[in-house]
Amino acid sequence: MTPVIALSLFGIINLFLGFTFKRQSLQVVTLLFIICSMALTAMDWNHEYLWFGDMMKTNNLSINFSLIIQLAGLLVVAFSNGFGKDEVYTQPAEYYAILLFSLVGALLMVSFQNLIMLFVGLEILSVAMYVLTGSDKRNLRSNEAALKYFLMGSFATGFLLFGIALVYGSTRSLYISGILYNLSHTAPESLPSFLYAGIILMGIGLLFKISAAPFHFWTPDVYEGAPTIFTMFMSTVVKTAGFAAIYHILDVTFGGFQKNWIITVYFITIITLILGNISAAYQQSAKRMLAFSSISHAGYMLLTVCANQPSTSSNILYYSLAYTLATAVSFAVLMVVAEYQTGRTEKPENFDALNGLAKNNPSLAFAFTVALLSLAGIPLTAGFWGKFFVFTDMFNKNLTYPIIIAVLMSAVGIYYYFKGIISVYFNSGEIEKIETSFLFKIALWSACIGTLVLGIYPTLLKSIF
Amino acid sequence: MTLPILSLIICIPLLAALVLASGKLKGYAQQISLGASLIQIGLLIKLALGYQTSTATFQWVEQHDWIHFSLGSLGQFVAKYHLGIDGLSFGLIILTGIISSIAIWNSDSIKEKTSSYFALIMLLNASLMGCFLAKDFLLFYLFFEFMLLPMYFLIGIWGGPRKEYASIKFFIYTLAGSLFILLALLALGTSYIDPYETALAIDFIQPGQAFSAENAQMIQTAIANGEIASDKWVHSFDAAVFADLKNCYYKSILHPDSAWVLGNLSAREWAFWLLFIGFGIKLPIVPFHTWLPDAHVEAPTPVSVLLAGVLLKIGAYGWLRFTLPFFPKEALEFSNILSGIGAISIIYGAFNALAMTDLKKLVAYSSISHMGFVLLGIASFTAEGWQGAIFQLISHGVLSSLLFLLVGVIYDRTHDRSIQNYSGLAQIMPAYTFITGLAFFASLGLPGFSGFIGEFFSLMGSFNSQHSSAIWAILGGLGIILGAGYFLWTFQKMFLGKQYLKNSEWLLSDLTRKEKLSLYFLGISSLLLGIFPSIIFNLTDNWVSHLINQLF
Repeated sequence: MTPVIALSLFGIINLFLGFTFKRQSLQVVTLLFIICSMALTAMDWNHEYLWFGDMMKTNNLSINFSLIIQLAGLLVVAFSNGFGKDEVYTQPAEYYAILLFSLVGALLMVSFQNLIMLFVGLEILSVAMYVLTGSDKRNLRSNEAALKYFLMGSFATGFLLFGIALVYGSTRSLYISGILYNLSHTAPESLPSFLYAGIILMGIGLLFKISAAPFHFWTPDVYEGAPTIFTMFMSTVVKTAGFAAIYHILDVTFGGFQKNWIITVYFITIITLILGNISAAYQQSAKRMLAFSSISHAGYMLLTVCANQPSTSSNILYYSLAYTLATAVSFAVLMVVAEYQTGRTEKPENFDALNGLAKNNPSLAFAFTVALLSLAGIPLTAGFWGKFFVFTDMFNKNLTYPIIIAVLMSAVGIYYYFKGIISVYFNSGEIEKIETSFLFKIALWSACIGTLVLGIYPTLLKSIF
Repeated sequence: MTLPILSLIICIPLLAALVLASGKLKGYAQQISLGASLIQIGLLIKLALGYQTSTATFQWVEQHDWIHFSLGSLGQFVAKYHLGIDGLSFGLIILTGIISSIAIWNSDSIKEKTSSYFALIMLLNASLMGCFLAKDFLLFYLFFEFMLLPMYFLIGIWGGPRKEYASIKFFIYTLAGSLFILLALLALGTSYIDPYETALAIDFIQPGQAFSAENAQMIQTAIANGEIASDKWVHSFDAAVFADLKNCYYKSILHPDSAWVLGNLSAREWAFWLLFIGFGIKLPIVPFHTWLPDAHVEAPTPVSVLLAGVLLKIGAYGWLRFTLPFFPKEALEFSNILSGIGAISIIYGAFNALAMTDLKKLVAYSSISHMGFVLLGIASFTAEGWQGAIFQLISHGVLSSLLFLLVGVIYDRTHDRSIQNYSGLAQIMPAYTFITGLAFFASLGLPGFSGFIGEFFSLMGSFNSQHSSAIWAILGGLGIILGAGYFLWTFQKMFLGKQYLKNSEWLLSDLTRKEKLSLYFLGISSLLLGIFPSIIFNLTDNWVSHLINQLF
């Protein structure tokens, strides 16, 4: 668990560097910090360790999740452009420090062995996100989003805590191993019925974080109101960490009680798929569309949680990685275009603001297109295989009806993702050449190439996951 | 080491696309892509010289490991990069090579962003070739779905006034079809177990060792008796595995005994219909055809040529290559309905063509009508019906390209395609009139041209069929008469009679030498195929009898 310690230290160092260093170099330093902690994470490969009084466990699965989360953090930092040149209102040192702290929270969420640790991790991540959402202080929408996120998020945390309490009450342990032991040594009839309520409540608390319907109402507003760079962070890191936790709770810990929670989760999955996709089709704002698309992708990933097959964890990993790369690229392009269009058009985040991007910015347009194609699940992109593996799982479990809905919904998905491609390539508009930093370009291209390589040769990672 | 010719056929256009996309050689875009497709045709000629018509098996086979992933205790999945050609695909890849070079040759009207245009044409060419060459169902599916992207951009960027509507309609329609196919593919993949790969996994044989039919049977029995642990099972997407029902695991959803029923149809019947409709949207069959006229009307001429000449054929190819061998029983069961859909497509397309005032729309609807014959032939389950269907595919590839090029000729000159705006063109454009007359007569099924052979054999198969009612064949025959109606009517209105142009300023010059070359080439090809149909029948003969033996 060295990365957890390292990242916390790095965050504190970052805060102090804010006094001494130039703002531009902070970005590079933060990148180095994250790369360093990724290396520390990878060093534990093929070892199983217990940490902090057995409250956390690292194994290959948690390392994979940690690496994806830190990769997302890396992309976000590289895309961040040093948070603009506004000397008065932005505090890059603090932002980078908070990003690092929230990564710590995410790492706790993927490797917890004790429910308290899950709660602590979730709160570290969430509180950091509340702050970052509201970091655009002069923007009313950003403030509104932060407050909304905070209020709704606290409720969800309440659910989670109550669920933990009920589970503790019925199994007399907060440790996953203890819970599993007690559950296997108690006759099912003698288990108190509030255990099931506890499982469902914990599920709800976590499903809120990954914005599954009907707990998704905060998502579009918060995603839209938050500065785009933090929306990117939210939709990649929080989602991956959330899914790691859901998998750990529902499939690993309470997999034996599947019949008790499966109906609820099924219902939530189907609603998520339908609501996310249909609402996304109606959006005029590209940013809002991506918010709804993140809801719909939560639906696809929940499908594999429902299937609960031996390959589920590897499918969640693959899907998260594909989704992370594509989402980061699409938000990044949206961000630089919106920055350029601010002041030029009334709504810089609408699809219309992207009109004619391909004319003078072919590489941005290409990257955006690859990202949208991957999100839509078109072959030769990573997103296709993500969906493919999920659907394979479903077929192995004979879950035919949800697949039919999922497949129909991915046809709906084409419509709204292609709206972006239509704006970029088909519509005419005046966008001059947008200058981006060197780090931005590197991050953009590596994410793009990653998406394509994973799309052509998925075995590359499937053999590791 | 022998040259991997089939891979080269796919890679050369891809390379050309990369060169073009880099934008370094902007002025030579057309020449580069033409050069690439000529090299491709050279490779096709090399294939043709070494091709053996006496066998129905795959030739020039290339096979490499590609995707491999484990499902834990449920075994593993294997997908291979597996290419090969046989009697069905060989004619179609030659058609693809020729039609794409003709489309490139006639792309002079494209003035904007030429390098990206030709890059996309090359991508389209590569994915079309990939579709026809792939032996692995998953590999085919990837090419099949990827093909939509270049087509989408070609219509959406270089199309007419309603290009956005037409391109997204095309995309959503055909993607819905692909998703149907994906569902069937996943069901097949999870239900069937590859005996050869499983034998490798349990070290029953070593890589490179021969694997006989008895060995396969041993493995199949061992799996059915539970003697091989489920984590050693290997699922693959090889088309040959899906064609043998004995590979289907008895507890799986697609096994004939599975209890899965939805709305009176068993799982196998559903899978059949998913595949049938998925490919049918591409063909297109009525009622899933509405994307086609829109796409054609908005697409620039060379893209229309590729769309009608090659793209539509993949629908029928998918039926013959995958749907029938995978689900023979189900296909036979529904053959009467399939024939009915075919006959309705013929009649409906023809009636619509009769009512059209836009020349290009007329040709588009005539395409739907002619593709109906393909379905009629396939659904007959007779050797002559299938021969006719395959022949009709190639013949229509030639003729529809010719027709769309002819429409393009007049559109380039006046930017107007309304039939009623022209009259007596024969006096101004004699050469154009000649070749149009030839194309119209060939398309309406005049003996001596390729169109006749295809329609005749499809109808004959349908009449002789024991599985579908003769009424559909009669209706199909009626379609020929309607076809004569709209073609002759149009010819009379536009080319004969008193000379009249709606806009007196239109300058109608006769065909240029460049146009003549491709038009005459296609016209003569149709004539040749009509006089010597054995060129195609020699190729398909063994393949068709092999399929008949396999199914019955």
